[in-house]
Amino acid sequence: MSFMLTCPNCGKRQVGEFTFRGYFKSRPQQSDDFASWTSYVYFNKNKIGKQWEWWNHASGCQRWFIVDRDSAKSTDHQSVWFENRKTLEHE
Amino acid sequence: MTERIAQHPDLPLFSSPKKSFSFTFNGKTIEAHEGDTVASALIAAGVRITSRSFKYHRPRGPKDNFGQGPELLMTVDHAPNVRSDMIPVRAGMQVETQNAWPSTQLDLMSINNFAVPLLPNGFYYKMFHKPKWLWPIAERFIRKAAGLGKIDTQGRAVDTRYEKRYRFPDVCVVGSGPAGLASVKAALDAGKQVLLIEEQEQLGGHSRHTVFKVENCREKKLNGLTEQEAVRSLIDEIEKHPNLEILSQTQAFAVYEDNLVAAQRGTELFKIRAISVVFAPGATDRHLVFDNNDKPGIMTGRGVERLIALHGIKPARRAVVITTHDGGYHTAKLLHGAGTEVLAVVDGRQKPPKNDWVDGIRKLGIPIFEGKTIHRVKGLNQVKKVEIGDLHGQFSSLSFACDLVVLAVGYQPQLNLLSQGRTRPVWDKKRQILRVTDLPQNIYAAGEVQGSASFARLYQEGFEAGRAAAQQSSLSESQRDENELIEALPADIESGGKHHFICPCMDVTRSEACHSIEEGFDQVETLKRYSSMGMGPCQGKTCHEAVARLAARDTGLSETEAVPTTMRPPLSPVSFGILAGRAPHLVPQRRTAMHHCHRKAGAAFLNAGQWKRPHSYLPPQEEALMVRKGLGIIDVSTLGKLELSGPDVMDFLHFMLPGKFRQLAVGRVRYSTMIGEDGILFEDGTISHLEEGVYYLSTTTGNQAAIESLFRWWVLTDQFKVHIKNLAPVHAAVNVAGEKSREFIQKLVDIDMSNEAFPYMACRKSTIADVPVLLFRIGFTGELGYEIHFPSEFGAPLWEYFLEQGKSYPLKPFGVETQRILRLEKGHLIPGVDTDALSNPYEAGVDFTVKEDKENFVGKAFLKNFKERGIENKLVSYKLNSADPIPEDGVAILKNGKIIGRVTSSRMSPTLGFGIGLAWVPRDLSGAGSRFQIRLANGQDVTAETLDHAAYDPQGERLTS
Repeated sequence: MSFMLTCPNCGKRQVGEFTFRGYFKSRPQQSDDFASWTSYVYFNKNKIGKQWEWWNHASGCQRWFIVDRDSAKSTDHQSVWFENRKTLEHE
Repeated sequence: MTERIAQHPDLPLFSSPKKSFSFTFNGKTIEAHEGDTVASALIAAGVRITSRSFKYHRPRGPKDNFGQGPELLMTVDHAPNVRSDMIPVRAGMQVETQNAWPSTQLDLMSINNFAVPLLPNGFYYKMFHKPKWLWPIAERFIRKAAGLGKIDTQGRAVDTRYEKRYRFPDVCVVGSGPAGLASVKAALDAGKQVLLIEEQEQLGGHSRHTVFKVENCREKKLNGLTEQEAVRSLIDEIEKHPNLEILSQTQAFAVYEDNLVAAQRGTELFKIRAISVVFAPGATDRHLVFDNNDKPGIMTGRGVERLIALHGIKPARRAVVITTHDGGYHTAKLLHGAGTEVLAVVDGRQKPPKNDWVDGIRKLGIPIFEGKTIHRVKGLNQVKKVEIGDLHGQFSSLSFACDLVVLAVGYQPQLNLLSQGRTRPVWDKKRQILRVTDLPQNIYAAGEVQGSASFARLYQEGFEAGRAAAQQSSLSESQRDENELIEALPADIESGGKHHFICPCMDVTRSEACHSIEEGFDQVETLKRYSSMGMGPCQGKTCHEAVARLAARDTGLSETEAVPTTMRPPLSPVSFGILAGRAPHLVPQRRTAMHHCHRKAGAAFLNAGQWKRPHSYLPPQEEALMVRKGLGIIDVSTLGKLELSGPDVMDFLHFMLPGKFRQLAVGRVRYSTMIGEDGILFEDGTISHLEEGVYYLSTTTGNQAAIESLFRWWVLTDQFKVHIKNLAPVHAAVNVAGEKSREFIQKLVDIDMSNEAFPYMACRKSTIADVPVLLFRIGFTGELGYEIHFPSEFGAPLWEYFLEQGKSYPLKPFGVETQRILRLEKGHLIPGVDTDALSNPYEAGVDFTVKEDKENFVGKAFLKNFKERGIENKLVSYKLNSADPIPEDGVAILKNGKIIGRVTSSRMSPTLGFGIGLAWVPRDLSGAGSRFQIRLANGQDVTAETLDHAAYDPQGERLTS
């Protein structure tokens, strides 16, 4: 991982300035069964290809945002604010 | 044998060096000339065997003199595995050979050589497998026989200070041959900042020792010059350019995403982030496989040219040149000029072209053998005789007695950097080389890495690549003319005999490779792993092409299907020191506002994450008694401090934390844990209702940044209208603890400090010495005490003020270690110390902080599950008998020889006079009065007794009264 990640606030920076919080997934309802909670907490897709991800510019402006990134080709990505995530092509 | 030459008729730029000095080689004094590498000085001194091979301990000698193979790895000034052909020799250097016993000249372990048929691939798995007792003995022998240099465990190696450096050029050019120099020129012409990386001390690449005439070059002034002169002229032109930085003697060893180039120079690591990168690393002489192809005295064409032209060495008395292109004639001419008798030029081409070079050799009376090549060499420790014949090794027709065989049979491009994990090279049928054609964006390749070519073409290609790199535009496909192509010989000249070495580093022969294929390892990647071809010190730089071609051939594929194994960083050996760097200066250190007061007071410090905190000022046991019996003060500025407010703040607290806070009145404080979505306890702290709707949350030192970012994430995803203010860097904090603390603070403030007006778990605002302060009556230490938070710019003055005002008690500072003893007496856990990734709040005994009946909160689903599952293990306080030794933190608890639990914190209690601690034990041992065995690190067992209350002040009277 040595690529340059785009922060919507600060622009292109070395990826080491950021922290990563996994891919974008929605939290189950409190009423959902325990199996859906375990899969939410413990099972990750580990996808090769495009996915929405959470990134935080921890050593910079400290803001959270969504990155639409190809996990196999990190250089190919698009970063948006959480509010603007619907402007991305897919989930 | 070898000798120095004073002049050379074919090299106009040749001048013999003036200064000479000495160094030692295996304890012997050797003379070196200015400009020598360690290897060239040794060669000039007549050293022919420079190492022993990895497995069979066969003698090995210099070959390429370009840092490629394993032959010239030596221990230099106690640093092992130094590529002696890549470093300039210095006066007084201590150079030693490796991997031979007693010496490289007489290596008793070369007995392995005669056991070749007994040592097939994986022999150690197969042969010493049974009986079982054999392996430990065999392993000792194998470990001694195998392996390369020895690590200097006494730290005598010089230059062990490592640095990291950063560069951000527009264009980074790797390699400074004709193509690299032309790229630099084009990029400079376009007004770009350029960084040029060259592995050698001098720029110029192979042209430094090449005297072909430059013709038809786009740079008109170079036409008519020799290549040597042409690169000199180019270097003179660009060298002083203000936009150019040259890193010579620097190896680019890796390239990562978005053009991050890693390079090393001595003990420095360069991290280069370039907009564009031009790779012009060139090519090296092709590795040819034939019988005894590893004997000392076999050198490559360019290896020989380097010795003659750059170091002024006549490399041998009598030589035979094996070639397939005009370059061999060039080498033969230089050899002849240096005084070596060239017995023959053996040309693999059926009809060598008519040109000045071929005719020149003919005119010198040197016989040329057409359509022939080398079959084998003979000689015990070095080349004595060479036999030649047809191209397929069938009929050996001639032999020559000589002490040097030159192999100039085409070039293999230096693909490693271009390929590294991204693009697999493919066999280019026309150019007869492995090539990388599909490059990532803004990476360009130029020069011999695309196939050998004339100087004019290399220059042209480099110039175009440099221009494209400057504009980040695409580059058209490189071209080659018929007369520039070099036909490849068969990868292995199958002339019989056992010693056809494909991989000289790991001592793998063709028959061993075939054997591995028969055993089923018939994919090139598995073949590599099983036979270990290409896994030695040179990482396939020498053999990757031969491995690919022969693997294709021996598995029944055609040559065009030759695939090399994946090339990965690093290209050249990199020491761990280079990668680690001088680490401490790269990690920020954080100090509190009172740091200098602690230093003045003589505190010993400890690291708490990035923070420096006072460990203690006096022995911690003494400090602990001082707090219990009198008054103490500790700096707790490193705590995380978040102020939360906004319309949704109560919903947010109820969602994030496991407790309920609606009843928490203004001026009250509550202890809370933090639970992850997985139901695991990971953090604790206090939450205080400062004023209507404003809450103040304290977190542990280590988690202060993580909790803030976690809160911000939840505020964002669940759209809470909450304002988070991080006051951690803004507020300094102290804890004043001890029986007398109320009396003491009452003197400093104008609010009522009495137990009725300011009870336990309450907070107040006030001023001390006109500084606004927040007072929290909480008791981590188990003693009456107050946490005081105030603006950190008053950190040092207020700290001094407290000590001054408390002199009469006396009030003395205590450290973190003392605080750990005090809290342990009280049985208070520290998350992450006494808990881990499996600790839920029920088992950790802090379930009083969890209110499961809330609608929806983080961790609810898992907490419900944990509760239903019930308690399996429990975190308990325990005590020891007063005479028992104190267990170490983390030791095991045993029952009938089985581990059933562990101690998380363990200290001597100075107040109580016996050992106390916290431990995880099974449920049946968690009841008061249960006894269990703790196994100390020294093997001794002590008996502990479970407590159901704090060891100190079980009723909490000291806290609440």
